[in-house]
Amino acid sequence: MARVNTVLGPVPTEELGIVAVHEHIGYGMPGCELDTKWWKNPEERYEETIPKLRKFHEYGGGTFVDATGICNGRDVDYYKSLSAKTGVNIVACTGFVGGDSALPFFARASVEYLTEQFVHEITVGIGDTGSKAGIIKVGVSRGFRMTELDKRIYRAAAKAAVRTGVPIFTHLAVDSQPAIGIFDEEGLPLDRVLFGHVDDGVSQGKVRDTEIADMGGRLGFDTFGYDLELRDPPFWGRRRSERLEHFLRFLRGGYVDRVLASADANCSPLGWPGVKGHTVNYIFEQLMPDLRDAGIDEPTITRIFVENPADFLTIKN
Amino acid sequence: MSDLAGVAARTAFDDRADEASRSAAPTVQTVLGPVCARDLGVVSVHEALLSVVPGAQYAYDVTIDRAEIFETLAAKLTRFQKAGGCTIVDTTGMFYGRDVPLLEALSRASGVHIVASTGMGPEEMLGGYFLTPQTNPPIPWPAEKFADLFGREVIEGMVVPRVERRGSAGLVVTAAHHAGMTTVEESLFRGAAKAGLATGVPVSIRFGGDAVHDLEVVLDERLPAERVVVVGLDRKVALAAGAALEVASRGAYAAIDHIGSTDNVHVSDAERAALVAELVAAGHTDRILLSSNAIGYAVGQPPRDLPYDHLLSNFVPLLRAQGVGDDDVQRFLVENPRELLTVR
Repeated sequence: MARVNTVLGPVPTEELGIVAVHEHIGYGMPGCELDTKWWKNPEERYEETIPKLRKFHEYGGGTFVDATGICNGRDVDYYKSLSAKTGVNIVACTGFVGGDSALPFFARASVEYLTEQFVHEITVGIGDTGSKAGIIKVGVSRGFRMTELDKRIYRAAAKAAVRTGVPIFTHLAVDSQPAIGIFDEEGLPLDRVLFGHVDDGVSQGKVRDTEIADMGGRLGFDTFGYDLELRDPPFWGRRRSERLEHFLRFLRGGYVDRVLASADANCSPLGWPGVKGHTVNYIFEQLMPDLRDAGIDEPTITRIFVENPADFLTIKN
Repeated sequence: MSDLAGVAARTAFDDRADEASRSAAPTVQTVLGPVCARDLGVVSVHEALLSVVPGAQYAYDVTIDRAEIFETLAAKLTRFQKAGGCTIVDTTGMFYGRDVPLLEALSRASGVHIVASTGMGPEEMLGGYFLTPQTNPPIPWPAEKFADLFGREVIEGMVVPRVERRGSAGLVVTAAHHAGMTTVEESLFRGAAKAGLATGVPVSIRFGGDAVHDLEVVLDERLPAERVVVVGLDRKVALAAGAALEVASRGAYAAIDHIGSTDNVHVSDAERAALVAELVAAGHTDRILLSSNAIGYAVGQPPRDLPYDHLLSNFVPLLRAQGVGDDDVQRFLVENPRELLTVR
């Protein structure tokens, strides 16, 4: 049967519903937990987080895929309680946001060890939570070039994806050629990889988006809502109309099956201020209306938010 | 972010100093609170209790059993105490598995004073939060921010991540890469020196390629040399460079701190004993510190499973054989560490 690992156990793919495919309950760089300036007590965390997830559920959202890798504040027991209390499926990931966020123990590890780490988290469980990871996170370190460590993590992820059948999503789609080379060598079909952040402001001019899609890879327009129109936009922000046009070009150019969309918002950021007012619900409150205004029909919207992610997330054995 | 060199931090420290002077006795910060310096007894000044390589706590094949860790460490502390040890300094810093409640329980149970440390290093052991912050471009932390982070662990308490602050760090530790100090490490060293100056606790520096150069970096921050201990002086490169003598002659403490280690990097215990005798002969008795850098419980790394009493039970006899007198041994193990650790 077609299934996906969530933090509360495997669910049938049919139950995923509308999927936000690249989000964060809370993200922080490793070490931020030492800096009390970011600390919030659990009461505040729940208070910031639950209403966003409840609203997501009320809007018709079914599944929230958390892209917070190992060492970045991933907290699966917390996710389990959030999922149980809100009715939103939460998919946790294994892997790393990038070499920059792999702590020394993993930065020193071999491809074989990293592969075992990922496979264990997918097939046995994450720590002692009993929850299995549903997807593998990898990414490109700061500087827009894959480092040796980034490549080691990509290769381990590719091996783990081949062994377990779960997909991979990436932080950044820049410098994609070494990544595609690794996936090829490991025998992982490119439609099992979501190249994320093709739409962010700092990556423009550095992403071979058409080439990735033509080769069979999936494109993540997944930083929707980090708009330069915000009062205090992050450095990866982009003008709203420009991002939307970019997405529409792919929808109208015959790439509907190759794209996924998300907001990459933090419900409650762990080691950075976050962006006030930006939540996962941008998908319902801004993006879907924008798509409808642009003449995108309902079946296409369903493909983007329901059918494509279901196909992508389903464990392929 | 407030500056520790600023008014608030000085005030907090002054309050503590006033308190100490009221009780008319200098104190040392232990995990169970300030202890009269004269009660420290025999000190092993550079050891690790629980040591977890950053990230190992998330490894699929690592299980952290606190009860087992406690049992192991408590037995080792008891053995140290039976050999005459009274105080142990845990120099793992703030990001290497430090577990403040566990250290408190160990100290209460064993009766051994435990001094815990703040600080981090070398660069490769830092988290991405400090090296590639979410700014464009990602500029690593400067010395001032490290000073603030470390100083708060003395003034406001040591962090139990995202839960609370507890106790007070008794020294600041940092380290440089063996190939030589990196730019980030210079920020760590300067930050550690600033934190030491602002709070009155001593600073331990594990030198990278050149002990004297690395010492000069912290002295350049106007930290008095007698507030600094340089560790790693029983590395072969240090012996070849005569680094221990250079460090001591500048007024800093010279730590022969890997006693019992027999690896490719370090000299032998016999060579260590000869080095101590040489420093004594040169008039530096008051600048020598001894320790073994044993790891009581190692996670995610090979164990350095040396009993904490190796120094007392095995090395001290070697010193006597070198003609080092009991008074001098007393200086290395009691008076020198007491002077170093006393909050100024």
